[in-house]
Amino acid sequence: MSGRVIVITSGKGGVGKTTTNANIGTALAKKGKKVVMIDTDLGLRNLDLLLGLENRIVYTIVDVVEERCKLKQALVKDKKNPNLCLLAAAQTRDKTAVTEEQLKEICEKLQKDFDFILVDCPAGIEQGFQNAVAGASEAIVVTTPEMSAIRDADRIIGLLEAKEEIKQYHLLLNRVRPNLIKSNDMMSVDEVVDILSAELIGIIPEDTGIITSTNKGEPIVNDEKSLAGQAYMNVASRILGEDVPFLNLEEDTSIMGKMKKFFSSLVGKEQK
Amino acid sequence: MNDIFTNLYNKVLGFFRKVEAPEENSKDIACNRLRVVLMQDRTNLTPELLERMRSELVELLSKYLEMDKDALELNLEQDGEQMALALSIPVIRAKDEEEIEAAIKAEKEVKEEESSQDEIKDNEDKEDSEEEEVQESDSEDDCSEDNTEDTKDPIDEELEQNEEQESDFTGKDVKQKRK
Repeated sequence: MSGRVIVITSGKGGVGKTTTNANIGTALAKKGKKVVMIDTDLGLRNLDLLLGLENRIVYTIVDVVEERCKLKQALVKDKKNPNLCLLAAAQTRDKTAVTEEQLKEICEKLQKDFDFILVDCPAGIEQGFQNAVAGASEAIVVTTPEMSAIRDADRIIGLLEAKEEIKQYHLLLNRVRPNLIKSNDMMSVDEVVDILSAELIGIIPEDTGIITSTNKGEPIVNDEKSLAGQAYMNVASRILGEDVPFLNLEEDTSIMGKMKKFFSSLVGKEQK
Repeated sequence: MNDIFTNLYNKVLGFFRKVEAPEENSKDIACNRLRVVLMQDRTNLTPELLERMRSELVELLSKYLEMDKDALELNLEQDGEQMALALSIPVIRAKDEEEIEAAIKAEKEVKEEESSQDEIKDNEDKEDSEEEEVQESDSEDDCSEDNTEDTKDPIDEELEQNEEQESDFTGKDVKQKRK
C-alpha cells in the first residue's frame, strides 16, 4: 500500500485549516479508508482538540523523531472510528524540533500502512510550512472569500508551484456566506476561483454547527444533517476521484429552500 | 479613421463606467483591489523598481512630449488573461518634429538600442493644447511598432509589457498567468 500524502495549508491563520483537516480525515475514514493525520503545528497544536483526542496523547511527533518511542506507539486511534489515527504535535516545542527530512521520513513510513496521510500545516510561510510540505505530493489550499485570505492563498499557491514534489493542488473555499454573496457583499465562488486560477475541490458554507462541533470535539461530518458536514463529505468523495457536483449555494433552490425553512422555523418558535 | 472610432468607443465606454461607478458594491471593490495587489505580488516588482521604471519611461517619453512628469501614473492591470501596464500622462505639448529628431539624434550618439526597447502606442487627439488626464487604460488596440513620425498629439500612452522591458528590470520573471 502506498498512501497519498496531502498537506492542508492556507498561509493565513484562522481560515479553517485544522477544521478542514479533521473533517476531511474523518470523512475519508467514514468511507472506509485508513487515515492518519499529522499535526505539524508544533507549539500550537489544536487538531487533537477538534477530534476530541486531547486526553489520550502520550507521545508526540517530537518523541518519534527523538526516538523516545516507535512511530506506531505515537499514533492515537480514534475510538469511534478505528480507521482514523492522529500523530499529535508537541505543545512544548517550537517549529525547529522537527526537520523537513524527518517529516518526509515519517510520511514515507506511514504510507505503507495508511491510504491517506493528511498533514496539518501551521499558518505562515516559514519553516513550519516548509516542513509540512516536505513529505507531501498533493495539497489542499484552504481560503475564505476575504481579501487577506485570498492574497495569502495566492502566495501559498506560488510557493507550492515552485515545489517539484507537489504534483497537484486544489482550492477549498471555506466559510462561504450565500446571503452575503447574494447582496454583493462577498466575493462569489467563481470570482475567487478566477482570481486564484486554481482548481476547486470544495465549497464549505459558514455553519454555526462548526462551533458546537468543536466544543464537543466531534467533527461536523458526523452530523449528516449539517450543510457544512455534507460539503466536507463531498470533498472526501472528490479526493477519492468521484464526480460530485458542488453545492450551488447561490442559486440552488433546494438549499435556499432549506435555509428559508430553517429561518421560518426559528420565527415560528419565537411566535409560540 | 479607425483610431477615431476606437477613441470614441472608449470615451463612450468610459462615460458609462463613470456613471456606474457610484453603485459599485463592496465585493467589486474587493475584487479589483485584490487583482491589483496580486498582480504586484506576482511580479516581484518592488515599489523601488516601479519607481525606476517610471523615471526611465519619463526620460524616454520626454523626447517626444512635454508632459507633467509629476502627474504620471503607472499601473499594472489585468486585461483579460493578459497583464497590462497602463500608463497615464497629462501631456502639456507635443514636441515638433525638429525637436524630436534632435533628441533622437542626441540619444543615438549615446546609445543605440534604447528606443527599440519600448513599444509605444499613440492615440490621436487635439493638437498643442493643454490636456487633462484621460483614463484610457482599457484601450483594446495592440501595440504597434515604434512609430516616431506621428507622435504628434498623444494624450495617453499605453505600453504593453513585453519581455524586452522586463529585461530592463534586473530580469526578474513575471508570472503572468498560472496553469
